[in-house]
Amino acid sequence: MTYSDAISLMPIIIAACAALLVLLAGPFLPGSMTSAIAVAASVTAGAFAACTTPESAPALPGLAFTPLAHYLIPVFCLSAALTLMLSHGYNERRAIKGEEYPATVLFSLFAMCVLPCATNLLTLFLALESIAFAFYIMVSIDLGRAESGEAGLKYLLMGAVAAALTAFGFSLIYAGSGTLNLSAAIAAPGNRAIISAGWGLVVIGIAFKLSLVPAHLWTPDVYQGAPAPVAAYLSTASKVAAAAVLLMLLGFAPPMGELHVPLYLLSLLSMVIGNLAALLQKNIKRMLAYSSIAHMGYLTLAILTGSKEGYAAVLLYAAVYTVMNLAAFGAIASLSTDEERSQVSDYSGVGYSAPFRGGVLALSMLALAGIPPTAGFIGKFFIFYAAIRGGELTLAIIGIISAAASAYFYLKVVVHLYMRPAEVDSPKPSNSAESFALCCASVAIIAIGVFPAPLLRLVDAVLQ
Amino acid sequence: MSFDFPILSLLIFLPLCGALVLCAFWRSPSVARSVALAFAAAEFALSAWVCTASTLSALPGAPAGFFLFEDATWVERFGIRYTLGMDGISLVMVLLSSFITVIAVLVSWKGIEERIPLFFALLLAMESGILGVFLSLDLFLFYLFWEAMLIPMFFLIGIWGHGRRVYSAVKFFLYTFIGSLLMLVAIISLYLLHGTQAGSYTFSLAQLIHTSVPYGTSLWLYGAFLFAFAIKFPLFPLHTWLPDAHTDAPTAGSVILASLLLKTGAYSLIRFGYPLFPEAAHAFTPLLYASAVFGIGYGAWVAFAQTDMKRLVAYSSVSHMGFVALGIAAWSPIALSGALMQMVNHGVTTGALFAMVGMLDERTHSREITTYGGIWGKVPILAFFFLLFNMASAGLPGLNNFVGEFLVLVGTFRVSPAAAGGAFLGIVLTLIYTVRLVQEILFGKENKPLVLPDVTLREGAVLATLAVVDVYLGVHPGPVLDLLKVPIALLTKA
Repeated sequence: MTYSDAISLMPIIIAACAALLVLLAGPFLPGSMTSAIAVAASVTAGAFAACTTPESAPALPGLAFTPLAHYLIPVFCLSAALTLMLSHGYNERRAIKGEEYPATVLFSLFAMCVLPCATNLLTLFLALESIAFAFYIMVSIDLGRAESGEAGLKYLLMGAVAAALTAFGFSLIYAGSGTLNLSAAIAAPGNRAIISAGWGLVVIGIAFKLSLVPAHLWTPDVYQGAPAPVAAYLSTASKVAAAAVLLMLLGFAPPMGELHVPLYLLSLLSMVIGNLAALLQKNIKRMLAYSSIAHMGYLTLAILTGSKEGYAAVLLYAAVYTVMNLAAFGAIASLSTDEERSQVSDYSGVGYSAPFRGGVLALSMLALAGIPPTAGFIGKFFIFYAAIRGGELTLAIIGIISAAASAYFYLKVVVHLYMRPAEVDSPKPSNSAESFALCCASVAIIAIGVFPAPLLRLVDAVLQ
Repeated sequence: MSFDFPILSLLIFLPLCGALVLCAFWRSPSVARSVALAFAAAEFALSAWVCTASTLSALPGAPAGFFLFEDATWVERFGIRYTLGMDGISLVMVLLSSFITVIAVLVSWKGIEERIPLFFALLLAMESGILGVFLSLDLFLFYLFWEAMLIPMFFLIGIWGHGRRVYSAVKFFLYTFIGSLLMLVAIISLYLLHGTQAGSYTFSLAQLIHTSVPYGTSLWLYGAFLFAFAIKFPLFPLHTWLPDAHTDAPTAGSVILASLLLKTGAYSLIRFGYPLFPEAAHAFTPLLYASAVFGIGYGAWVAFAQTDMKRLVAYSSVSHMGFVALGIAAWSPIALSGALMQMVNHGVTTGALFAMVGMLDERTHSREITTYGGIWGKVPILAFFFLLFNMASAGLPGLNNFVGEFLVLVGTFRVSPAAAGGAFLGIVLTLIYTVRLVQEILFGKENKPLVLPDVTLREGAVLATLAVVDVYLGVHPGPVLDLLKVPIALLTKA
């Protein structure tokens, strides 16, 4: 392993060392110091990844700093950093004490940094499941609420089944192609029937992780039960990781013929059912959970086209969706006191009693609805452009109509924020870490919405 | 005289800067009002100054007929460029927009009592969006401004409106949103079609016009565009959002909605719909005729049945915009100039009517016609202006609406006598509801003892300005028609 290999793997090394450092030194340091170390570590890891040029040769057996890693690791690090900043205040209010939380976030970040670097199936699977493990802990970390533990258990059980299916799928692909190496496993003809069977199981497992209908039943309950910053992290980073797994397995080539119908159905059902079910929700986190399902439906639509434009759309949407959901859940987290503001009607009048956080929540709702000039519009535009270009006109029109319908429940939140009189107590002031995180997310939403060109250049660099 | 700084961008973004500046004044409402007025007035001055630009010089790189042009790279990957252009039609629309915004700011001086800085900030942000629609020549940029217009109006209706304001605001938003999204599919399809034919992908209007679209596809694409624009016009039967939105909006919101937002639909049809898909547009002409004529009659018919003043004026908007649609459908130089004149005239007249309804509402807190009666004696100045603007709305010769309607009818009669005949009947119906409104409010016996102060200085200035513009456009429409001549000739011969 040479010096340049070590530099290219720096994000992984930093994340792992920081996680261990926080875990070991945490009991002796004040809570804000451990959070600060964790945030600093994430930011440094992201900076390293953004500044290192990708190489195709493996730095370690099974790990190579690919162009995909060069793009995705900063996204993951941003997600982790903002989550840690948002949790700083939230955990104090909810009495989630101890260094386990930042350490677990860093462990999950470590696994997320390994994932896009993986060059063989086993490393990929290990990274994917390590992320899930970290999330089992984070979802149930709020010991004061029974819902948190319940959510964690549901996620664990469903996730274990998904992991088993994915593992079986990977082993079938190995059996059919004869190698664990990712690029070879995709290219090798091998035994088509076994590989197809393996693919089928992998798609089911990834559908669980991406919460596509009909593998979505865990999502509303887990998002509702998990602490809001964890829900933010879960809805963004773990989904992006699962999408990345799918992209890496497809090798950025069109999916084989057998996958077309399953992906089509997954996308169609997720878009339609996700948006329709969200219309009925009164709990804001459940509503956002169903909206996540719909957004993952749009993502699958882009993957379905199998074209370079489609995969570029997926990568762009990954970044855009991350900032939008972090802003939404972050605003929810910072507006909650010792009781979470769970109902949409609890946000009545908050636009005036907490203008900044209410404004961020409203902005994230408009962005999720896909209204210009926010980043959400650019993401939706790219996805539907890729879909129409890839020939999926019917599905694109269905998607657009469901996106139009989705505006209703996003607007409902905005209506409550600004057009209804306040019903419950006004929110208390937020602390500076939360405000900074929300500020970063909202600036990103508007900046990407008005000047998407830099991000598009980065996305295209991945697909070269 | 040419400008060596990006004046079009300045025109679009000055109100937005004003909106951001206003956020700094969130604690001092009275200062906020003055700052908003200053920005609106500055914008109007700027657009008046643009009038001095030579409208005949051909600019290098600009499409034909455009005397001001700006072009910059924006998102190269998709061929999206930041392209703005002004020709005679957009100049007239920009003047109308900046003028009406000043009127809207003045009209809401006293009427809005809470969250005043936010209100004026949203008003100015709306102006930016509307000007962006009128000046964009790139389809993606146009779409961005088209959608961005919805957000401030949604807040204006939902926060400061009355009645079922949230219902009306959401209905307005969703109705327009779904139309726009279908138009987005059409825009993307056109873009891809052009790319496969020409090899280079672009959203620029000037280049997309040269795409040869297969006839069947062009029908669908134009249909999607027409659907989105017809919702904004509004054309029967896609008009059902308008009465609710107009009635429940605050006065300034109604003024901007009627005077400006509806015009964006008509303008976009002329600027984008017809040039991009000429054969499909002509295939849809009978449908447009039917919808326009029926809208004229239906709007007037239902207006007659209203008891709420504002709802009556709202339905009258449906009726008047039917004339605009009729003129566009005829697509001859006279008819099209009539349609564009009618857009300006309707903006001034209906804006004035909504302002007056707002003034009456501020005095008695009632918009029901039965509250009033015989107020001529009590508030002679107010009543005079009310009579003037209603007569203008009815199409009295000498006032502005007559010019537009006359040109539309003459132009349409040459192309389709049946449609023009149907529109004539609509004029009769227009007279019926106008006279009924005037008679029941101004004349006759008073129904309730009302205390009505007459117009204040501010209100008088607003009404006088609108009246002067009204009469001027009715008596001397020549300059405006001259501005429109060259672009219309280019559009109709193409």
